[in-house]
Amino acid sequence: MSTPYYTPTDKVPLPPSDAEVLTTACDYCIVACGYKVFRWPLGREGGSKAHQNAFGKNFPVNALEEWVAPNQHNIVMHKGRRHHVIVLPDKQTKAVNFDGDSSVRGGTIAQKCYNPNTPTRDRLQTPLMRIHDILMPVTWDLALDVAAEMARYVIKTHGANAYSVKTYSYQFIENTYAITKFARRHINTAAFTFHDTPSDVTSTPGFRDTGFDNFGAAYSDWANAETLLICGTDPYETKTIVFTQHIKPAIEKGQKVIMLNPRETAGAAYIKKMGGLHLDLYPGTDNLVVNAIARIIVENGWEDSEWIKKWANNKWETDSGFGQGTRNTPWQWRTTWGKFQSKGFEDWKKWVTSQKEYELDYASRMSGVDPAKIQKAAEWLAKPVNGKRPKTSIGIEKGFYWSNNTGNTEAIGALGVIVGAGGRPGQMVSRFGGHQRGGQGGGKYPRNKSPEKVPGRRRRALDTDRWLYSGHTRMAHVIGTTWIQSMCGSQGLQKKFHELTLVNPHQVRSFNKQEVIDTLKKRVDSGGMVVINQDIYLVDPIGSKFSDIVFPAATWGEEDFMRANGERRLRLYQKFYDPPGDAKPDWWIIAQLAKRMGFDGFDWENANDVAEEAARFSRGGRKDFNMIKVDAHAKGITLHERMRQLGTDGIQGPVHRMNGQLVGTVRLHDTTKKLPETGAMGANMFNKKTTHFNSQTGKCNIMKSPWSIFSDFWEWMQPKGDELWVTNGRINEIWQSGFDDQERRPYITQRWPENFVEIHPDDAAKRGIKSGDRVMIYSNRVPVHKDTILGVKGNDFQFASLLKNGHIKLDKGSVTGIAFVTPAIKKGVLYSNFLDKRQPSNAIQARVVDWISGNYNYKMGVGKIVRLGGSVYQRDLHSFSFAPRNII
Amino acid sequence: MKSLETKSTETGEKCKISRRQFLFYSGAAITTTTVMLNIPGTARAQEAVFATYPRMWIGNMSDLKTDQPLTFNYPDNGPHSISMLIKLGTKAGGGVGKKEDVAAFNTVCTHQGGPLLGTYNAEHKTLGQCPFHLTTYDLTRYGIIVSGQAYQSLPQILLEVEGDKIFAVGVMGLIFGRNNNLIG
Repeated sequence: MSTPYYTPTDKVPLPPSDAEVLTTACDYCIVACGYKVFRWPLGREGGSKAHQNAFGKNFPVNALEEWVAPNQHNIVMHKGRRHHVIVLPDKQTKAVNFDGDSSVRGGTIAQKCYNPNTPTRDRLQTPLMRIHDILMPVTWDLALDVAAEMARYVIKTHGANAYSVKTYSYQFIENTYAITKFARRHINTAAFTFHDTPSDVTSTPGFRDTGFDNFGAAYSDWANAETLLICGTDPYETKTIVFTQHIKPAIEKGQKVIMLNPRETAGAAYIKKMGGLHLDLYPGTDNLVVNAIARIIVENGWEDSEWIKKWANNKWETDSGFGQGTRNTPWQWRTTWGKFQSKGFEDWKKWVTSQKEYELDYASRMSGVDPAKIQKAAEWLAKPVNGKRPKTSIGIEKGFYWSNNTGNTEAIGALGVIVGAGGRPGQMVSRFGGHQRGGQGGGKYPRNKSPEKVPGRRRRALDTDRWLYSGHTRMAHVIGTTWIQSMCGSQGLQKKFHELTLVNPHQVRSFNKQEVIDTLKKRVDSGGMVVINQDIYLVDPIGSKFSDIVFPAATWGEEDFMRANGERRLRLYQKFYDPPGDAKPDWWIIAQLAKRMGFDGFDWENANDVAEEAARFSRGGRKDFNMIKVDAHAKGITLHERMRQLGTDGIQGPVHRMNGQLVGTVRLHDTTKKLPETGAMGANMFNKKTTHFNSQTGKCNIMKSPWSIFSDFWEWMQPKGDELWVTNGRINEIWQSGFDDQERRPYITQRWPENFVEIHPDDAAKRGIKSGDRVMIYSNRVPVHKDTILGVKGNDFQFASLLKNGHIKLDKGSVTGIAFVTPAIKKGVLYSNFLDKRQPSNAIQARVVDWISGNYNYKMGVGKIVRLGGSVYQRDLHSFSFAPRNII
Repeated sequence: MKSLETKSTETGEKCKISRRQFLFYSGAAITTTTVMLNIPGTARAQEAVFATYPRMWIGNMSDLKTDQPLTFNYPDNGPHSISMLIKLGTKAGGGVGKKEDVAAFNTVCTHQGGPLLGTYNAEHKTLGQCPFHLTTYDLTRYGIIVSGQAYQSLPQILLEVEGDKIFAVGVMGLIFGRNNNLIG
């Protein structure tokens, strides 16, 4: 772990002119900027004259040129020999990060590499097994044999659903393909889900119903919009280069930006300074604001009638949607109650203009947003000026879709359609994105095996947290995620893990393989649970406290991997140094387990083998890369080698091959795009989403988004007495990189040595809290949906019904943090980093899933705050800063 | 030690040179006006680095007015040497003077080299937003980033006070554009 004392240096080695140069992309946020790695053996350095260094530049260099900050240098092992590496944003790339721009996270990514002289020294290097309650290093064979035997036993004795797999969704195509092939196709467990949700469900139900792909837009669409609506995120902080290289230059040329966000972040402050609008709403009220905007638009007749006529489904076309699949489709159960489905634009218009909660006064009062700003937003989004409509794009992210998941995403889908966005250059609707897109399914989720049913007797993907709470999980396989702190009401979940593992009397106290297995079998048969964990560091508590076996994983830079970014741009992330010790990539670990369990199809020799097998399963998807493989084989090289040739520019999926050339897809749903008259020749595949929308007819559905599915929960949650809203989220310097940044990158540890709590000056004064004080947020009102139940009647899963019928338990949660008094947070709201493992603010958040979709509404929490005392950060000026982040 | 031959020696403060040599060769705990990080175990290495910088007179305490920066070049007149001396009016990490509120920083953004001169915010004692990519720095906390994309803190110019005179004696952190602070 890193200490908060970063010691700066005043010189840095330059790569000599003959240094090797490899390409990669950043490991962290969705944007995936292109990077170059300069590598050369220890013992010499390049000079400051142009001919003496690999950049061909005289030092000192000018602004925006190839400067090397000390945090961009590291020393690694390559083929067993020490090498210098410098990891720099690629100044020559033609995609994504023009000018070689980078965020603070990617800009210092060289510090991620394993180097025993840095805080990365605690990388896992050998398999570990808990014996005598100590995680002891063991051989791969022993660890794998025990894990595979236990997996076989649990599945045979307690059923496949007793084997729960919780995995990242993003950490490279090769790994996710192997993991999903293993878990979903072969084990075929319904107790499977990804790192950010208790069940394997869509993140944006409203997008799916409307017909929008999550990542249809190209980054150029954000730049080419005349009005840009940003909901629930500040791209400056969490999609930095999308902001600095695509949106900021557009703002400078007059783009109007509207941002929905309870905080005035650095990007929001800049947007305001440039004349944009910041709609500073209370958590969970987005649905009211968005529909109030939509209502103003249609009341004034500003909707894009031509677009709606051509691209929105009418009654008959929407009804034909019911023919799009068998019962059990998410579409089916979300729409058949008539709560969401409309009979086309006029019916939806009637609905939105007749709901009293979307009257401007009401929406403004509940959301705390100035009505004039809501009115102005509606004008900017849709009011024609001199007969010309504005080109409008809409981007959303977690602050929006994790506060009222179904209600907000359905609302934004309808708003998108009526302003004419979704299917033209500069007029798109997408997620901005969180993690990179490294998911590739190797097997289908077995929804029919899930015991969870929503009203209407339709099955829903299993809530793996509730499943575990209820004692059904006998073996938990956790891959590259904390599981516990990243879920809601996390302290209750932690208690349950403790009870099922450490408190169980059957603990391993022998090195004998058979005795180990016999003990663990007794544990699972007595209602306990075995935990296996794959990760790069020992994670507290899932690895350090609860795991029986820990497998050391190799990661970014330690293996060749493929992945796509938020505009579906595929790149090869090249291996440039040796993984530490005996660490292995996750696909390899999975293959070893699978083979021992008797599964076929896991005989891969290397990562390229996995990628080539995955290619055919990517067909029809948004990052279809099958034709890259076809092209590679036509050239007599491998898929990975072909990807290597594409460098940092990569290529946007779905990828086609025309006349022997690879052709990427700039945007999905591109209604202006002309496909070749010959159709899809050879192995090419043109999915409907290339030129149309994801619905039965290829047109958009205009969906209703009733506030009432959420309002009972929101009203129950609303702060009472001395309570405040407690919400959380990401922050620029720590963003999808917490395991590196916050814990092992000294400079970032210095900036944020602990979790912080943003509190408005008025709320702070009332409680005697000053910046730098150590505070505690606590709540006795953490609602927990405690049982896995069957919903029968229409409203059985509605929060008020759950409460009435005794399915909600009130839990407690408390976390400490360092107060940061700032007017940048809305009065009445507290905000902290969502995932600081030591101070996990998710402990306060409601453990009640969105009852339509099954996602957590992570942003919704309520609690009290109390000052515990001062802190060292008030005296020691090395760490933290309490200056406002919204200075302009 | 070549840089001792520069402007700084013209002040003739021989005793100071001796003292820096003492710092360089000894490794004793530093409790004088030489500033900086009281980091256990690292003091020695830091002092060794500082000792190679020129000692340069950059202004007088009596001329400083709160929140009114003075500019100077350091450690040389080469690219990206533009720096500012500021009386913050509030205690600063590495600050000198009676109130420990006088500090100096290089003013080139450590992200991509954007110019920060003229962006001082007197209310919050910050520098920025950088016009390039909006980074801001906290001058009361060793130039740490408040918000933004820079790869490190703003390089802080180390100061010594001799009577009313203020001398720049070193730089904490690599100056943008350079691979070595002393090669301008």
